[in-house]
Amino acid sequence: MTSTYGTIEEVDDRDLIACAQRGDRQAFTELVCRHQNGVIGLIYRMCGDPQQAEDAAQEAFVRVWQNLDRYKPQHSFRSWLYRIAANVALDSLRRERPSTELGSLPLADASAGPEQSAEERQRAVQVRKAIARLSPPLRMVLILREYQELSYQEIAEALDIPTGTVMSRLSTARSQLRQELLVLMEEA
Amino acid sequence: MTSHVLEWLGAYHDGELTAGRRRQVEDHLRDCSTCREELESLNELSSLLKADPPSLRTSPQRFAAHVQLRLPHQAARSTRRNTGQLPRWVLGAPLALIGIWAFLQSALWVASLVLAADWALGPRVMFFSNWITAEGWLGSMASLFLLHAGLLIGTAVLWATWMAFWWAWKQNLNFELSSNQIQKEV
Repeated sequence: MTSTYGTIEEVDDRDLIACAQRGDRQAFTELVCRHQNGVIGLIYRMCGDPQQAEDAAQEAFVRVWQNLDRYKPQHSFRSWLYRIAANVALDSLRRERPSTELGSLPLADASAGPEQSAEERQRAVQVRKAIARLSPPLRMVLILREYQELSYQEIAEALDIPTGTVMSRLSTARSQLRQELLVLMEEA
Repeated sequence: MTSHVLEWLGAYHDGELTAGRRRQVEDHLRDCSTCREELESLNELSSLLKADPPSLRTSPQRFAAHVQLRLPHQAARSTRRNTGQLPRWVLGAPLALIGIWAFLQSALWVASLVLAADWALGPRVMFFSNWITAEGWLGSMASLFLLHAGLLIGTAVLWATWMAFWWAWKQNLNFELSSNQIQKEV
């Protein structure tokens, strides 16, 4: 690959997928590096536990590798990837924390950087709690749109729902969040 | 003032409206403070959400290395393609050819039986024979036999060609896989 394209970082996602589909692990690792933040972020915001999110994200990428030959290049890779990640996130939620109250996430996040003030951390935790109180279908759509910045069409493909359902879930999720975070929004 | 465009504001905020609808919303927003406030609220919410970036515990390289360790061996992954299930078109296309050949064979046998029955019933009946005429392409058993033989040989040639193409494709795939393996080892 390096002889044809220069460095692997310059290779387009589509070419990397084609190489990975032929069994090229180096190409697949590059895909993992490119998309890991999105996948970990999605699962983390769904389940609220960084360690659980990283474990589940690894599982998601293993499933991607195992099913790469089923991926059709005419579809969005991000949609396909996030579809797998969403399923893993939901599996993880069901398996790992069946009885945990989603609103009882820890107030202090040990992984927060030192540059983040106590007030910002407190605000971030309140936002996470508000998101965690959304039902999983609403939460998933909101995360895919607000954090992963998928288009409505990509979200519809990822979750296998109509675009109209994406719009209505997003609207409901935002409406609920605005009620929950009214004070924070006024302060901001 | 026209009616509010609240149901379109979310899609407008996300840049998901068509050009025509977007202009319609923008025209409305110029005159409607209620909808402007609603849009402002959506913007504030997005800003608030995005102010909380995910905190990753593992470095990207380490995460990728962990994934690599969990990947099944390459041979296990490529089994389905190489030795297990064949691609559908490899089996489907020759089967379709055999189906067509069987259909033509059946049709010809039925036609020849009808003609034979027609001749057996004598010159007063001979409805089909008179219709087709004795000099027609179905007029003799010899021409029917030649036609059958031609179809069979043609199908056999097509089958052999098809399998040769498939074998060449498979050899090429194996070559690419082994090239990747060699590249990694180097």
